[in-house]
Amino acid sequence: MAKTLRTTSALAGVVMIVVAACGSSSSSPSAAASVAAPSVAAPSVAASVAPSASAAASAAASAPPAAAVPTVPTGYTELDKALGADKPFSGKKVSIQTQWVGGEGTNFAASVADFAKATGINIQIDSIGSSHETVLKTRIEGGKPPDLAQLAQPTPVLAYAAQGKVIDVATFMDAKKLSAEHPATIGLVTQGSKIWGIPYKADVKSTIWYPIKAFAAKGYTVPTTWDELIKLSDKIVADGSNPWCISAGGPGDATGWQLTDWVEEVVLKTKGPAYYNDWINHKVTFQDPGIKDALDKYVGKIFFTPNYVFGTNTAIVPQDQKTTMDPMFTADLATPKCWMQKIPTWYGPDFFPDQRATGQPSKYVLGTDVGIFPFPTIDPAQKNAEGSADTMMMLADRPEVRAVAEFLATPQGIQKWIEAGSAISTNTSTPAAWYAGAYKLKVAADIANTASAIGFDASDLMPGKVGAGTFWTQMDQWVNSGGTNTDAVLKAIDDSWPAS
Amino acid sequence: MAVARTESPGLSRYVLPILGLIALGLCGAGILVLYDPQGGPNLLASLYDALGNTSGATALRNGEGDQVVAKILLAVIALAVGVGGIWLLFIGVGGAVSMLQAKWRDRILPWVFVGPALVLLAVFLVYPAAGTILRSLQDDKGQFTLANFAVMVEPEFTQILRNNVIWLILGTGLSVVLGLIFAGLFDRIRRESLAKTIIFLPLAISLVGASVIWGFVYAWQPAGQPQIGLLNAVLVGLGGQPISWLTTNPINIICEIVILVWLQTGFAMVVFSASIKGVSGEVLEAARLDGANERQLFARVIVPMIRGSIITVSTTIAIVTLKIFDIVYVTTGGRFGDDVVANRMFHEIFQFFEDGRGAALATLLFIAVLPVMYINLRNFKRQQVEG
Repeated sequence: MAKTLRTTSALAGVVMIVVAACGSSSSSPSAAASVAAPSVAAPSVAASVAPSASAAASAAASAPPAAAVPTVPTGYTELDKALGADKPFSGKKVSIQTQWVGGEGTNFAASVADFAKATGINIQIDSIGSSHETVLKTRIEGGKPPDLAQLAQPTPVLAYAAQGKVIDVATFMDAKKLSAEHPATIGLVTQGSKIWGIPYKADVKSTIWYPIKAFAAKGYTVPTTWDELIKLSDKIVADGSNPWCISAGGPGDATGWQLTDWVEEVVLKTKGPAYYNDWINHKVTFQDPGIKDALDKYVGKIFFTPNYVFGTNTAIVPQDQKTTMDPMFTADLATPKCWMQKIPTWYGPDFFPDQRATGQPSKYVLGTDVGIFPFPTIDPAQKNAEGSADTMMMLADRPEVRAVAEFLATPQGIQKWIEAGSAISTNTSTPAAWYAGAYKLKVAADIANTASAIGFDASDLMPGKVGAGTFWTQMDQWVNSGGTNTDAVLKAIDDSWPAS
Repeated sequence: MAVARTESPGLSRYVLPILGLIALGLCGAGILVLYDPQGGPNLLASLYDALGNTSGATALRNGEGDQVVAKILLAVIALAVGVGGIWLLFIGVGGAVSMLQAKWRDRILPWVFVGPALVLLAVFLVYPAAGTILRSLQDDKGQFTLANFAVMVEPEFTQILRNNVIWLILGTGLSVVLGLIFAGLFDRIRRESLAKTIIFLPLAISLVGASVIWGFVYAWQPAGQPQIGLLNAVLVGLGGQPISWLTTNPINIICEIVILVWLQTGFAMVVFSASIKGVSGEVLEAARLDGANERQLFARVIVPMIRGSIITVSTTIAIVTLKIFDIVYVTTGGRFGDDVVANRMFHEIFQFFEDGRGAALATLLFIAVLPVMYINLRNFKRQQVEG
């Protein structure tokens, strides 16, 4: 998932991530000290909790070709103006730069198309792809930034804010409404009374993908605890196959992010949110026993047990994320050569071998052929999950830009993307009906519902030098060594932590 | 001009300045179009309007329609303004200066022609270079510090510097030696031009393109899966285990250097080949009469006589290897112990937000290139003296 940029650890310190779903029981008081708390995928949470709301929404959604535009009054000043009958911003241009290309790019364009039509605002989307962050930095420092920009990590948002490049949206938006509707994610970009961006799209990372029918044929059941997961893995090995397909995320520049996701997952599920936060701020070092255990006892158990990983541990780093799961599809998923892959919810049929080869929609159906189950719990007291969120950052302050920013803060700002079955809104007032029928999103919502806390991707919040640098490269080395150099690897990461 | 003069000298006195003014106006208009971010689509839209294609024009103004045509139009204008503008500038200023007295003309004229190049050099090379060196000596708050250079002795940076030295020695050495061997051998075969073309062709491929191509050669799949990479397919076909060429250090550095050698050998060969043809037949004959065999002839006579070319080619390729970025960036991103200075510089600036360190790396690179430049310039001078 792309690279992170760097910020000082002081900034990272301000960012507190952990969140409690449903605003419930185990909310993390100290961790959430700086800002608000609950739940990443709360949209569906809120909706499922409030059946009346979802009923109303499904009624609204049953009149199909309705434009994905919020109804006035929206609660936001410029947005109301823009949607007024006189279309005051008609013909004005607003540019948005994103890293979304391909399917994601199309979905985002569809999400803003109705709004552009309704208001006459000319929304220009610059889909940059993998060099998005480089181009963005150049544009911002060159003094000609796009009006709005998407970033997958909060760290660079705060770094640009510290340079005075970002508009504080709290200066013109109803901060209370914004915070209330994005309870889980707004804290990532909030500093005091200033809000440096609008949380837009969420992903759940605690997901494992598997072949449903082959599981049934062999009598395997979906594991819900770590012990069951290990038992299942052993059983698959005993049956003469390899349970896991694992890639470090490469090849090339971003190799390593999947490995850090594994570690983060285990830390959240063994140590809990407060510890996880301290780890991000380097109050807990990488050499702490908790982190070392995560590597040696849990991640290492999966990676290095003989026959667990297809191609053995030496295959993990060179393995291409695009093709990692291909062995699972042997004989149309009937005789998988590997059975499970941990990868976030943004993964999908566009990575399946038939769609990759032909460009035609995959014949494998999510929920029937390929399934997703939540990463099993390790410590029963730590029912936490991992997630991430995209933020929209505002870089130019004009009325029409404000209107677009406000639109993106409403559920309608991502409605078409949700209905296309591949996005989760960060906005809790999103009607559940929009998610209807989307298997992937249902699973993600279930995970968010049952999780007592959701931790934001830790490596994305650490200084870039660590989170997209040494944490990745050292994990690669650890995997290649077969887990024999844990102490040296963790020390190297600690040593690379920026001094300031 | 010549035509106008024969017809009517009086008329040309007016025609040329008027044409010049029109061209100047066109240039100005072109620059205006280029300056406007929506210039291309708007201009094309106006053209469409004039041609009566109103719907096409509206689509263009709304950011839809024939955007590609608009971009091509913009490129054509940029080319015309760029090339034509410079041409106009030289003609115009040259003409103006030549109206001056002879004494002044001779003094000013050289500067007219060198001037634009000097200005461009100062603005786009000297100024940024000075800025970079200055930045490398500052921390994020603009205070003087040597910390950016102090970190260069840490293991992760010494490894990068070591890798650059490997690139410098192996990359340059292999390209030059292979180029020399090919040039020497091809000089004596029948289908010389065909052979040279085959070696020379890769030079036409960009570094990025070559890296992608070789990426397929080095591609890796777990044992038991079909190998799509050429090298591993051969290896497995012979009964071996697939090797992950690009992630295994230090093999990956060699694998990347091979890509550069594949590209640069052709360049070295062509230059050497031309020089070898320049070696006089009488010298060779004299050597043969003195009893030199062909191998001695090549090593003791030809090579020393084309020393100048060897130095030029070596320094050129040496600079390429010192600055190497594309191959590492495309194949591995420098993630597997194979990082080099230029790639790390990019990462420091754009991913780690460590502008100071990036500038320090750029400065190091600059300093490393200096001696090579010096050798090259001295070689030029000596060649001039000899010539």
